[in-house]
Amino acid sequence: MSVQSHDLHLLTGAYAVDALTGDELDHFEQHLKQCPSCAEEVRGLQETAARLALAAAMAPPPSMRAQVLDATSRVRQLPPSGVRLIAADGPRRRRRLSRRLPRPIAVAAMAAAIIVLAVLQVGTRHQLQQAQSANQTIASVLSASDARIQLGTSTVGGTVTAVFSQHDREAVITASGMPTPSDARVYQLWVMRGTSARSVGLMPGSSAGATAPVLADDVQPGDELAITIEPAGGTRQPTTNPIVEIHTRP
Amino acid sequence: MNTPSVGQQPHDRGHSEGHGHDLAGLLAQVACGDHAAFEAVYDQLAGPVYGVARKVLRDPAQSEEVAQEVLLEVWRSASRFDPARGSAAAWVMTIAHRRAVDRVRAENAATAREQKVAPDLGTSEDVFELVDVALDRQRVRRCMGSLSALQAEAIKLAYYGGYSYPEVAGLLGLPLGTVKTRIRDGLIRMRDCLEVSQ
Repeated sequence: MSVQSHDLHLLTGAYAVDALTGDELDHFEQHLKQCPSCAEEVRGLQETAARLALAAAMAPPPSMRAQVLDATSRVRQLPPSGVRLIAADGPRRRRRLSRRLPRPIAVAAMAAAIIVLAVLQVGTRHQLQQAQSANQTIASVLSASDARIQLGTSTVGGTVTAVFSQHDREAVITASGMPTPSDARVYQLWVMRGTSARSVGLMPGSSAGATAPVLADDVQPGDELAITIEPAGGTRQPTTNPIVEIHTRP
Repeated sequence: MNTPSVGQQPHDRGHSEGHGHDLAGLLAQVACGDHAAFEAVYDQLAGPVYGVARKVLRDPAQSEEVAQEVLLEVWRSASRFDPARGSAAAWVMTIAHRRAVDRVRAENAATAREQKVAPDLGTSEDVFELVDVALDRQRVRRCMGSLSALQAEAIKLAYYGGYSYPEVAGLLGLPLGTVKTRIRDGLIRMRDCLEVSQ
């Protein structure tokens, strides 16, 4: 498809308000690399669009602040050197990544914390070996280039964090601030797909900090990660309404 | 938030009234893992991030999720912010708008969009206005008023509605080329009216 560069230049406005999709977006981003005047215009129009956003400000739910600030302790920051790595890729590639794939949320600090937790919870050598093997898988999910963090708030209190890699088809789930369930009750984690529910395992209560991570395999975009309260030992199918559901997205 | 300054210089890079000059400096501190700086960034930008998500997504729960993801993304990738390429506010709001639009388009792939009307600025009943943004809102509204009706409608549908420009063309019953130029011409006029730095 050949498009006149004049026509492409007219797309600066649509681009600045994220109104381009598909091939046209790719063509325009390709063009942007070779057209400094377009890039300059886009920059000014993005500043303008940002003013539209600032004017639309609304007070978020008050509980959001603590949740976000709390979550920063579990999200590892990108190193500054990444600037060059990203720049070398060029705007199109970067944009494609941000469009097509989730922004990778690398989480080595989280991984480290999670592994420590997991190791603390095992006793025997055999358990330790099992845990190490699971930890390798968990670390792999957490460091996957397409890993994406999603948060859910439980109806009984607390926050559930899921890191999902579409590529690995796996998700790592932890919870914090969820009260310990009452006697003879447990939290059970499920992968819901359509009308079916597959048990992943039990999750401990976590009122005193983050729980050990639970790994869910064979997870696809669109699946729901759900936690229900069940009788001790867990059940084969959920018997109560989920206290939290996280809809996995690519 | 800062008190809006009347004598603001138009060429002061991309900072709107009421949003601190120090945002870029705060982001540099955030990039070094400074939690207090991130709190300050949160307090300045959580409202706009949540607001733009609400405009595009409508649903409060989804908007909150997107806002949380965006703000965590700011924490995570603060080191990638390059002040030479634009203002800190524009960097964050670009992330926020893209996330919201990506989400609404993913949702729409499954279910048809119900609402076909361009959302307006701050008219919903459940929107409680932030005092700090009153001036921003007033200026944007005034500048929006200087556009042709078609330009304003096309920009609102695209930005606040999250519609692609072919969808905007469909909604307004206009040719693609017309919508493309209306959005661009309208934004350029907004830019000049708001004295956004280039």
